[in-house]
Amino acid sequence: MIELQHIFKWYPAGGSRVYVLQDINLNIEAGAFVSIMGPSGSGKSTLLNIIGMLDLPSEGSYRFLEQSVYDMKEKHRVELYKKHIGFVFQSYHLIDELTVYENIETPLLYQNVKSAERKAMVSDMLDRFNIVGKKDLFPAQLSGGQQQLVGIIRALIARPKLILADEPTGNLNSAQGEEIMNLFQKLNEEDKVTIVQVTHSEKNAAYGSRIVNLLDGRIQHIPQTVHS
Amino acid sequence: MFRNYFITAWRNLRKNKTFSILNILGLAIGLSCFLLIVLYVVDELSFDRFHEKADRIYRVHTDVRFGGSDLRLTVASDPMGATLKNDYPQVEAYTRIYNSNGPKLIKKGDQYITEEDVTHADSTFFDVFTFPAIAGNTKTALNEPNTVVITESAAQKYFGTTNALGKVIEAEHVPYKVTAVIKDMPHNSHFRFDFLFSMDNVEYQWGNFLSNNFQTYIVLKKGTDYKAFEKNFKQVIQKYLIPQAKQFMEINSMEEFEKAGNKLHYSLMPLTRIHLYSDRFPEFRPNGNIQYVYIFSAVALFVLMVACINFMNLSTARSANRAKEVGIRKVLGTERKALITQFLVESTVMVLIAMLIALVIAVLVLPFFNDVAAKDLSIRDLLNAPALSMLIPLPFVVGILAGMYPALFLSRFKPIVVLKGNSNSHFKKSSLRSALVVFQFVTSIVLVIGTIVVYSQLHYIQTKNLGFDKDQVLIIDGANALQQNVQAFKNEVLNLKGVSSGTYSAFLPVSSARNDVSIFKTPVIDVKSGLDMQRWTVDYDYIKTLGMQIVRGRNFSREFGSDSLSTIINETTAQLFGYDDPIGKKLYGFDDLNKPVAYEIIGVVKNFHFESLRQNIGPMCMMLGNSDYTASFKVHSGDIQKLVGSVEQIWRKMAPGMPFNYRFMDDAFDELYRSEQRVGKVAISFAILTIVIACLGLFGLVTYAAEQRVKEIGIRKVLGATIANIVNLLSRDLLKLVLIALVIASPVAWWAMHKWLEDFAYRIDINWWVFIAAGGTAILIALATVSVQAIKAARTNPVQNLRSE
Repeated sequence: MIELQHIFKWYPAGGSRVYVLQDINLNIEAGAFVSIMGPSGSGKSTLLNIIGMLDLPSEGSYRFLEQSVYDMKEKHRVELYKKHIGFVFQSYHLIDELTVYENIETPLLYQNVKSAERKAMVSDMLDRFNIVGKKDLFPAQLSGGQQQLVGIIRALIARPKLILADEPTGNLNSAQGEEIMNLFQKLNEEDKVTIVQVTHSEKNAAYGSRIVNLLDGRIQHIPQTVHS
Repeated sequence: MFRNYFITAWRNLRKNKTFSILNILGLAIGLSCFLLIVLYVVDELSFDRFHEKADRIYRVHTDVRFGGSDLRLTVASDPMGATLKNDYPQVEAYTRIYNSNGPKLIKKGDQYITEEDVTHADSTFFDVFTFPAIAGNTKTALNEPNTVVITESAAQKYFGTTNALGKVIEAEHVPYKVTAVIKDMPHNSHFRFDFLFSMDNVEYQWGNFLSNNFQTYIVLKKGTDYKAFEKNFKQVIQKYLIPQAKQFMEINSMEEFEKAGNKLHYSLMPLTRIHLYSDRFPEFRPNGNIQYVYIFSAVALFVLMVACINFMNLSTARSANRAKEVGIRKVLGTERKALITQFLVESTVMVLIAMLIALVIAVLVLPFFNDVAAKDLSIRDLLNAPALSMLIPLPFVVGILAGMYPALFLSRFKPIVVLKGNSNSHFKKSSLRSALVVFQFVTSIVLVIGTIVVYSQLHYIQTKNLGFDKDQVLIIDGANALQQNVQAFKNEVLNLKGVSSGTYSAFLPVSSARNDVSIFKTPVIDVKSGLDMQRWTVDYDYIKTLGMQIVRGRNFSREFGSDSLSTIINETTAQLFGYDDPIGKKLYGFDDLNKPVAYEIIGVVKNFHFESLRQNIGPMCMMLGNSDYTASFKVHSGDIQKLVGSVEQIWRKMAPGMPFNYRFMDDAFDELYRSEQRVGKVAISFAILTIVIACLGLFGLVTYAAEQRVKEIGIRKVLGATIANIVNLLSRDLLKLVLIALVIASPVAWWAMHKWLEDFAYRIDINWWVFIAAGGTAILIALATVSVQAIKAARTNPVQNLRSE
């Protein structure tokens, strides 16, 4: 599903370059649950953003669903990730002015889904995750765990093939964190959603089927590696 | 302490360059408008106040209605002044100005120059008015016939020196001795003459109370109530006018005269009110209008307020950036009061900088403004005590006014909340800010609508069928200087290629001579059958040259020998006399020597506008005769300038040494609407300025909105929003405000412009499209302003904005 080859990312600093990512080669198959680990500043989030097509590498190639991402027009790229990728953030990034219902609905608005269909899809999700009663609340009225749940539902609403999660439990207490991780696991196993998460926690990383370790922008050690 | 404030203020200004420039620029534009309008208003209010007795001088005004139309005159009869002085001890002095002879030809070397600013004045002129003399004694200067008082510039022009005492000036072939030289009359005087000739040289049927030709000024003794004094005029009418009227008219009393729907009424107008309040005829120079003083003052205040609002909006909008500083200062123990002072110092510093820029702008724009406002203002006019006492505190007042709300707003922040850096949500939406933006756009839209209406009305005037053809008519004034060559001149000009017809008549449907007479329907001259109307002396080719239309009967014709006793009337006259078919009916009046004459109506001319479109078309009639002061030629030449050159050559040959003064009728027609054109120009300038200021504000606000919602924009982009989605998101709220402004502005503008249009008897209707156009303009401009920033915000990579947690 994801094939990254020779990905470099650097920023110019004075005359030289500061490398954030160096020669990343990574394949992820559909249905995997990958955890990217590493200390602060090791380039985890940058890698995730590159996978999510929010950021471009300085060098390298990327094939997503058998298509060469950097050879297509930006418009197509946006279409591609709109359709297939959902994002979950550490600080949820819900829109404060919108209700739970509206927050979940937002991605559908940008995919031109018809109003009736949107309603059905959102109601479906609210049902499935048992938060129908909270649909008219604003984010500020929810606990952190509930907010992240809404964040995940929002990521799922367009039925993506891939979910990218940037420290999804970073702002949550352990009980809430566990719930979220269980949810991810369930989604991965039952719905066959591919998940890539960035995490600091060994415990959370253990939920995944594979761990990628990053240090100073390089992949350190890849257990169960497919690629040498 | 204050030093610290200034330093922080200065550094803040430099740190946020865009913001500071927007803010100061907006204020500077607002302040420069304000300065210019203050100049204008101070000047308008200063008229005629320089006379020592200014507050005690009054002009005698006459109101006459005789058969239909009202005459509101600035002139009174010649014995009026002396009568008032003799009969009433409250009258300290009087003087008269006789200006009916018009311009004079004055000889300089072997050339003649047409001088417009000339008049005859009583010897008491300088007892009433204060004009300092450079040479000679003004008290006695005009006592003798053939004397003249001239101004410095006139002396320079004719003698090359101000030392002109005793020299002789030849005017209209009469020699006058210069008995005094005075300083030039100030520009803020309702009359400005360069030559004051002795009244003794006026040929006039003196002693006639019924003929009004003299501007008469009286000085009342200190403490006299002029309103109370006006009551005496009834007595004057009874004692002097009625007996004179009886001599040629059947009239017994004022009551009877008034019962027949007529009116005769005298009043006094304080000298200092003439410039702004007199809407009477004739005036020496175009007057001001108190309405415009009010309008301009209001506009000045509004523009200034719009600029202040900008300041408030931009300052509060940027508050997020200052919040941290406020938090730290508070933690360090600064009291709220001190913070408020700090912000006020900051805003005052900004206003002071803006004020300096405004002064520069004002100086640069002044020539332009003078042109538009037909003024001769100088920035030095502000260097007097009353103006300075207003201008020096101005930056401080504005600084505090504009800075107060931001200061209160900013100083309110709680340190813990703002230092956590989570402050964004606190000042996202402010209904006050929205209201202020609405106010700005209401002002802009009202001005835009005003501009559209003024220009539509002007366009209407330009294109309206006037009943005559004003295009391509060459007018030559002072043609009587041709003397015996009058006819020869006309014939030679008519021989030129491109000239189709020509006429002599001093009476034209643009500014020219006027002749009010009373015309009667019956030979019995009584108060019921009379009608005051215009009687114009024309020639055979008049109607043809000016493209007028005969709707009944015929034009004057050389084939009818008796046409010297014929008349052509306009439709209004026919209607007022109640004639369905007036042809063959007689009209009765007096000829130039006051002898009764009867005229036969031979034709009716289609109504044409001989006054401005402010007035309805009054009654008028035309008679054949010699009136050779003005020649008019209908031309149809590609090269008008060349044609004028040829005409001038003929003139030089036939009237050697005489000035050749020409104008075109369409230009002369436009002259009538100078003040409207001026209002149009002023309206359009201020409309543009307020929109610019309001857009500076919008620009700031959308920048702020984008900054505030940077996270939201990021999220939405990650969720798949396109640039268009984001621009829409950011612009929608602001455009909503503009729409609300349109809704509020439309009725206000409609009402105001309806009032303005009421001055015109002939006017446009205010169409709905005006509001759509104004609103559309405002929305388009606002949208353009907003889009620039919104697109910029929408294009940023969301990753940048979401990362910083």
